[in-house]
Amino acid sequence: MTVMLLRLAGPLQSWGSTARFARRSTENAPTKSGVLGLLAAAEGRPRDADLSDLAALRFGVRIDQPGSRLRDFHTAHHADSDKAMPLSERFYLADAVFIAGVEGDRALLQRLYQALRAPRFLPYLGRRSCPPSLPIDMGPPFEDALEDALRTAKWQASRWYRRQLERAADMRTSTGPVDLDVLIDCPPGEAPHLSLRDAPVSFDPRHRQYTLRGVLTDHSAPPPPARRGVPAPHDPTSVLRPLDSPNSTTTAENSPRTS
Amino acid sequence: MYLTRFRINTARSGARRLLGSPHAMHGAVNMAFPNPSARDGQGPRVLWRVDPQAAGRTDLLIVSPGRPDLTHLVEQAGWPGLEQPGWTTFAYKEFLDRLAIGDTWGFRLTANPVHDIHKPGDPEGARTKRTAHVTPRHQIGWLLKRQEQAGFEIVCTPPERQLTQRGHEHQVIVHNRMPLQFRKRDAAGSSRHNVRFTRVTFDGRLRITDADAFRRTLTHGLGKAKAYGCGLMTLAPARAS
Repeated sequence: MTVMLLRLAGPLQSWGSTARFARRSTENAPTKSGVLGLLAAAEGRPRDADLSDLAALRFGVRIDQPGSRLRDFHTAHHADSDKAMPLSERFYLADAVFIAGVEGDRALLQRLYQALRAPRFLPYLGRRSCPPSLPIDMGPPFEDALEDALRTAKWQASRWYRRQLERAADMRTSTGPVDLDVLIDCPPGEAPHLSLRDAPVSFDPRHRQYTLRGVLTDHSAPPPPARRGVPAPHDPTSVLRPLDSPNSTTTAENSPRTS
Repeated sequence: MYLTRFRINTARSGARRLLGSPHAMHGAVNMAFPNPSARDGQGPRVLWRVDPQAAGRTDLLIVSPGRPDLTHLVEQAGWPGLEQPGWTTFAYKEFLDRLAIGDTWGFRLTANPVHDIHKPGDPEGARTKRTAHVTPRHQIGWLLKRQEQAGFEIVCTPPERQLTQRGHEHQVIVHNRMPLQFRKRDAAGSSRHNVRFTRVTFDGRLRITDADAFRRTLTHGLGKAKAYGCGLMTLAPARAS
């Protein structure tokens, strides 16, 4: 099958699947409806267009950098009438980086890739106020299975996050190498590990519709070590030859004889 | 030449007395040499530096023409109960002989950057007064002024990697700025003197331009206050940028 990978990185992201009314929550990882909405917007599809071809794509995501949660107590006034809008609580993921992959028909993915390169509506990470900080484009679609493509893609975490992990490993506060979480659409016939109501049926603002989507969770292989052999901060003796200790001969004589 | 590393046990009161006063440390370092070299300013001299390492470790580094015996320091401020002697001496001469023009090294230098100035308001013809450089910019300027004669040049940062418009032209930082003040007795032991000076540590990368002059810098020291733990430059492999 053909796979296309997208890099989703930004200062703020928000991917809701159960958000209702004044509490707008976010999942830990991009949702299928959010990413398909991004692709549909890039193509310039209207809100009430048919989505069945996009919904048939298989979707998976890898969490390269989980980010942290941010709660925003949101107040706003209407731009024209200056009336207070409903108070709402909005949740975001700060400093997160994900790789999302879609698998399906080659011609369709090729078309979506062209649309991403020249989007009709600007792509954003789950909410209009969350622009991407790195190019979403990770190269044209290629032949691979979705699981393998997500597993072998290069680790996209930012440099400060890698350094933080290295430092934690130096301090021995973390155990073992980091695994990256992978969430993939559950194939029909298997028991999903969790299910979300985020497979889009229609984005029509008058009647949005989503159906349940089964998800399999997995760990990908740990990312390759970022930097090996970090030198000590400043050790002037690392290049010098130590001399024998002046006492070494005497200690050898004084040591108890075993023979 | 020898380079010696002594690990200080900072939990001991003797160690605190030594770390608290460069004067006391100077005396303790000098007592490590049974045959002190002549103090005529010609030959290489004993240089030392206290180097805080990671994880609370504190090392005393000594570069000297003769091989030191630090037994008395181990007894005051080391770990005398352990079997190993408590300090390690390295063959510094063979390392110095290998240094060649064009080599790039990471360096650390603890120094006393000063200049002699006329204070505003001084009468005409008055003597200049030795004054510390206070800001990192001037302290780095002090080092840059000496680099040519000392046989090295500090590696320049390429323009596209400079973080600020000014002040980041060279790969060197100043840290650990320490205004020191301590008392010392003079030889008669009666009157007391206050000693005040500023000690800073430079960390950076350099390229050797004149191997002989550079060897001299490493063994004779750079700048003032060499008795008080300043002027010793050490090299370590430069981290790839």
